This record gives sequence, C-alpha cells and structure tokens, in this order.
Amino acid sequence: MREQSPDMATEISGLNKWYGSFHVLKDIDLAVAAGSRIVICGPSGSGKSTLIRCINGLETYQGGSIALGGVKLGDNAKETALARRDTGMVFQSFNLFPHLTVLSNCTLALRRVLKMSRKEAEDIALHYLEKVRIPEQAKKYPAQLSGGQQQRVAIARALCLNPRLMLFDEPTSALDPEMIKEVLDVMVSLACEGMTMLCVTHEMGFAREVADQVVFMDQGQIVEQAQPEMFFGAPSHVRAQQFLERILH
Amino acid sequence: MGFDFAFAISTVPTILGAIGTTLLVALISCLGAAGIGFGFEMLRRSGGLSGYAVRFLIDFIRATPVLAWLYFLYFVLPFYGVRLGALTVGILGLSVYFSGYLAEVFKAGIDAIPKGQQEASRAVGLSRLDTIIFIIAPQMLRNIAAPLGNYFVSILKATPYLAVLAVPEMLGQAFDIASETYRYAEPLTVAGILFLILALAISQAVKRVETRLLGSTRR
Repeated sequence: MREQSPDMATEISGLNKWYGSFHVLKDIDLAVAAGSRIVICGPSGSGKSTLIRCINGLETYQGGSIALGGVKLGDNAKETALARRDTGMVFQSFNLFPHLTVLSNCTLALRRVLKMSRKEAEDIALHYLEKVRIPEQAKKYPAQLSGGQQQRVAIARALCLNPRLMLFDEPTSALDPEMIKEVLDVMVSLACEGMTMLCVTHEMGFAREVADQVVFMDQGQIVEQAQPEMFFGAPSHVRAQQFLERILH
Repeated sequence: MGFDFAFAISTVPTILGAIGTTLLVALISCLGAAGIGFGFEMLRRSGGLSGYAVRFLIDFIRATPVLAWLYFLYFVLPFYGVRLGALTVGILGLSVYFSGYLAEVFKAGIDAIPKGQQEASRAVGLSRLDTIIFIIAPQMLRNIAAPLGNYFVSILKATPYLAVLAVPEMLGQAFDIASETYRYAEPLTVAGILFLILALAISQAVKRVETRLLGSTRR
C-alpha cells in the first residue's frame, strides 16, 4: 500500500465504479496536491461528475480507494465524516435550501454541525457572502436571486465550513451566459487565494487562466492529464483533439 | 310541526358544551395521526424488513373502516387484558386510522423535494436527523399544506364516530337531545352549523399557514 500523504488534498487510486453492468469509472488514479487547481473536462457521460461525487461520498464505488488529506475514506466512519466536512461541494443546480434565507443557508451547518452560536455563525457567513460579493442579499430567499447570485451563495455556503478542498460540479452549466462571468470571477479569486480546487467544467477560458493541470476523461477513463498550455496547444490523444475541436471554435 | 327557532337556540348551550370534547379529540387525533403517519413514512423510506411491514400496515389501515378500529380497540382488546377508556380509544382509533392516509400525503410531499436537497445536506455535513428536521420536513410541509388541511377537517368530521363509545362530543349530544324530545331538526341543525363553523375556521387557518410558508420562498 502506498503511503497516503497529508500534503495531498485528495489521492485517488485504482478507483472503479459500476452502475449495474455499466462500468462508469475505470481504474482512476488522480492525486490533487494541496493548493493545486485541477480542471476535469470531457464529453458528457465520461464519468467526470461521478468521479468528484465519489470524493465527497455522494456516490459509492466498488473498487480502489480515495484519501482526503491523508485519511482513507471508509476505514473509520468518524474520520471519514470529518474528512468529508473538509470538502466543499458546489452543484450544477446550486441546491440551495429554498425555505431558508441566504444567511441561514450559510449558517445552518455552522450551527448544527460545528455547534457555533448564532452570532459566530452569522459573522462567518457574512464574511464569505462579502467574499462572493453579495452580502446585501443575506436576508433574501434563494428564489429572489438570479442564477448567478444563487451559485455564488452556494459557493459561500461551502466556504463557510472552511474546506481544504473545493469540488465544483459544472458550476456554470445551468447559468445564462451573462451570469457565467460573475461566478467564474469568484472562482478565479478563490484560486488566487490558494484554494485547492477540483472543477468539472467546460469553461476552457477558466481552465487556461487558473488550472495547474487539465484532466481529460472519456468513457470512464482519464485519457490525458497535462498542463493547460500542453493540453490546449498539443493534446496528445486523438479523443482529446476531437473534443477540443468541438468546443473551441 | 315547523322548525322551532326558540327550541333550536335552547339546545345550543348543551351542544356547545361538548365542543371542548370535539376539539380535544380532533386536535390530539390530528397530532397523533401526523406523528404516527410521519413515523410510518420514515420507516417505509428506510426500506428493509420494517419498511415492508409498514407498507403492509398502511395498506391494512386504509382498507379497514374507522368504526372497525374503534370497536376493535374498545371491545376486543379487553379480552387480551388491555382496557382503555372511551376517550383514549376514540383518539387512538382516529389517530391510527388517519395516520395511514397522512403517510401517503407525506410521501407525496417528500417525493416532490428535489434530490439535490438531500445531497446538499450531506455535502455540508448535516446528520440524517438534522436533514429531516431542518431540510426535508419544512419543504414537505410547504408542499402538502393544502391536502394536510383537508385531512385535519376530515378528522374533525370523523369525531362523531365516537358516539358509539358514548363519548359526549357535539353530534352525540345533539342526538341525545333529539331522542329525549323527539325533535330532530333543531338539535341536529345546530350541531351541523357548529361543525361547519369549525371546519371553515380550520381551513382558513390552514390557508394562512400556507400563505406564510409559501410567501417569498416559492421556487
């Protein structure tokens, strides 16, 4: 067994997952060093969302292992829960709690999971709402916000728990074009502050700007992993070439 | 022999005297039915053996008349050494009977909540119980306020069944007056009007709660 390094935000080895007889993830190996920013792209159905959903335990897997901050998931239920708490997740469809205000969306886990007082939790929530540039919406309900604003609240909600790794599952795919930028701007400034990020996205401009590594997946496998200049300049794999031709006009 | 208004008015105090019993039975039965029904639905969702058992139990409850439950609890259980008072049997019977229906309402209300809500709850580390209390239950209530109110009115309207156990609720009191005086129109009309007023009050209250719940949080 390889040493699980705590300097690794997450370390995935030999990950295999089946949906019934459909082999959705095939022998995935991926190491994300603390502070690095990795963009995962690939055609739909290639398993990219499934992969990051496995990392925070939203999906089960049948083979291989995932370690978060040096802790192997599944070995010890309590440690696993703690490791997951260190992982923030941003969904394609925001998944804000519609019956709670923006502020309560952010404070709920702080109060219930971390047992903070209302005051402490609200201070932290407002800090992160400022960071995503919508502190003035704190008292509103999600339905009163635009899609871009909702996604920024979702990012703030995840940041409140002070995660060591942020997972983004196509965070801009459900947004109107003019709202994509405001969400990407927030993600770029997060990256600049040194947040470890694993993003499934088709925003290749974002990948060029902030990614250390681009991972290209196809049919459940990591086909190519390279630095963005390499990946966009001269993709070595023919499937990656075809994919890039299709999405970069 | 026409409708005697003076006699009708004279029956009001006696019938109104039973409104406390009617409301008590209806209120506790509503809470009981909602509590048992929600418990049933949670067990049904947890799957496994208890899930199957609850599924059978809900179907069984919904396929039996409410009177059968009252008779069973009151006349059959004592043979097995369980002796309950008439009021207790009435409340228990209505609670159990309507819990089967409310479980179905809760099911619909929970099924209508997007799957992403559970996922987001897990992603921020909420426990299963906290997820139910803070995320699922409030959104479920918002989804089912109207049908839930209908069942609360139904429970109110089922309280006269308790007459078979000699519990002095409103309709039973009215019928007692009728039997003594051989005048049926007046006391039964008064009881009917009182039930109408109570039912309207409940549905108005439910409408208010619904508006409050939906207010600014509509998707």
